[in-house]
Amino acid sequence: MSHLKINRVEKNYGAFHAVKGVSLEVEEGEFVVMVGPSGCGKSTLLRCIAGLEPITSGTITVGDHDITRAEPWDRGVAMVFQNYALYPHMTVRDNMGFALKVAGRPKAEIRAAVDKAAQTLRITEHLDKKPKALSGGQKQRVAIGRAITRAPEVFLFDEPLSNLDAALRSQMRVELGRLHNQLGATMIYVTHDQTEAMTMASRIVVLNGGVIEQVGTPLELYNKPESLFVAGFLGSPRMNFFDGRVLESRGRELSVEIPGMPGPVVVPLDDDVPVPQPGAQVRMGVRPEAVTLGGALELSVALVESLGRETLLYLEGGGLRTVDSESAEGFVAVQLPSQHQLRVGEPVKVGWDPASLYLFDDSGRRLATPDPGVPGRVWAGGGWNRPQGRARRGPTRLWRARRPGAGAG
Amino acid sequence: MTHFAPRFRIVQALLYGFVGLWSAFVLMPVAWMIFAAFKTRREIFTDPLGLPGQWTFDSFRRAWGVGLGQFMFNSVVVTTSAVLIILLVSGLAAYVIARSRSVWMKLLYLLIVAGFAVPNNAVIVPLYQMVTAADFGNSHFGIVWVYAAYGIPFTTILFFAFFLDFPRELEEAARLDGCRPWAVFFRVVMPLSGPAIASAAIFQAVFIWNEFLLALLLLTQPDKKTLPVGILQLQGEFTSDWPAVMAGLSIATLPIILLFLILQRSFVRSLAGLGK
Repeated sequence: MSHLKINRVEKNYGAFHAVKGVSLEVEEGEFVVMVGPSGCGKSTLLRCIAGLEPITSGTITVGDHDITRAEPWDRGVAMVFQNYALYPHMTVRDNMGFALKVAGRPKAEIRAAVDKAAQTLRITEHLDKKPKALSGGQKQRVAIGRAITRAPEVFLFDEPLSNLDAALRSQMRVELGRLHNQLGATMIYVTHDQTEAMTMASRIVVLNGGVIEQVGTPLELYNKPESLFVAGFLGSPRMNFFDGRVLESRGRELSVEIPGMPGPVVVPLDDDVPVPQPGAQVRMGVRPEAVTLGGALELSVALVESLGRETLLYLEGGGLRTVDSESAEGFVAVQLPSQHQLRVGEPVKVGWDPASLYLFDDSGRRLATPDPGVPGRVWAGGGWNRPQGRARRGPTRLWRARRPGAGAG
Repeated sequence: MTHFAPRFRIVQALLYGFVGLWSAFVLMPVAWMIFAAFKTRREIFTDPLGLPGQWTFDSFRRAWGVGLGQFMFNSVVVTTSAVLIILLVSGLAAYVIARSRSVWMKLLYLLIVAGFAVPNNAVIVPLYQMVTAADFGNSHFGIVWVYAAYGIPFTTILFFAFFLDFPRELEEAARLDGCRPWAVFFRVVMPLSGPAIASAAIFQAVFIWNEFLLALLLLTQPDKKTLPVGILQLQGEFTSDWPAVMAGLSIATLPIILLFLILQRSFVRSLAGLGK
């Protein structure tokens, strides 16, 4: 039985529908991360779970308890806020023990709970300080400690690392992961940062426009996005998208014409999708890390970002333009896993493995996703669940040019 | 940067000059009052602008002798009670209005603003009739409620603006920590509203401490009078004893200065918009 159950929850603000009939089940001990762009309803949904916003319709249960109309203090949830929300007039110890004090628990019990949480979070030496004497990371630890002392059924995190600098954010990600393992608690975490989502989540919930786009493990979502939105949202740099048109279909293979490509691209369809008609508009996607040097597609360097362990190239050329991708100029993003000395304007030949291509129909639904084991991709060791009945393809079979020498890979 | 420096220095000097002149303008009457309190009855007419020839506390003794201590006690009781009522009622009212999404509450706020616009003296006759009809004349209890009623609209507006910017996360965290609305207000919101409370307390305390007309009308028994009315009585008895009047006024200003010194940090933060 799931620990937290959200059943067709809707939240309207007048005529604006912030959350549109969302249903989600969270198992006990799961770390669920809700991601999505600003205004997608993720924070609203979290606040609905916390009881800080009354829902318009639907039900929310924790364990056996229907908490749909319960007061925030009566839901068995604790929340960590983006701005820490520590009481400035209280010491760290008082902040962490406040909930127990309000509940009228004995002082000895409060002290023990606070000391234990402080030990877990390594903030014992700060217990007698006021919040203003702490750094951002320490404040966030105290905020988490305040939640821990309450021993809630469900922890809620509302973008808790957004106010921290990059180094501290990375450190706190590890801390939170450790804490989740240590406590084994059910946690729901809202963020717009896909790195946090990918690194910490047991499951990711991608929200868009108040509805759930997809729920799955980080690698499921990364490798097999159900929609164009999920494909574009997860991954940095974003996936390269190219608008195209279906030329013909042969069995479950589509021949797609992409403006600016030297020849049609053949893409194998997933087994569970309908075959589009010739002439249908489609959008092809290829991840920047799937693009490799040395193919048949000749482009020129528009921008180089050397990051030390990797190099990001932005390439332009001919009529080939990406849409809704990393660069507004329509450059093709390439992520190379090593250092490269390239100059702006320098011609480069690139290509990609045809088995690494994604394809979406004109409504943004999935038509094709890559096969496991494609070179240049990072796969969870054997964790890829391929649909049964789909043959494993070799990399050269499906990227073929109709005209000799016109292919890109 | 360096070629801006001389101009900056000139502007700085001008600003300092202006502030200095303004301070002298404001402090001159206060200084004159204090110097006059130390002069003799004759000296105050023969050398009204000079320093006292001999520094003597005689006039303070004469002023205290006509009951200044009782007047001051009355003023302290009335001012403290009224300010406490104003802070409590205005704080609660402003918090509810600031957090309510009801149109009726917004309307209520507009009524309070309108109430603030009514000139105090315009309602003084009906107010006198009401207070005496309720048998609250010559009673500190009666005038305290009148002062509270006068002070509540302004203080509600002041608190309302403060609460609008009060961080909601703190209240939400308190709710999640088990606080009911009353507990949220008294355990989290009020303890963090120091600047707003200090501003309101100083504004209202100064107004009530110095209020003359209502006190003159409603408090006629000598043992009930507050300082401003009491000092008037002093002036009547010692028409030619201006040093004693000035000594009384000097004593009357001390509690307000003391209050300001205690609350000045929060007060200045509030006026500078830093108390949020």
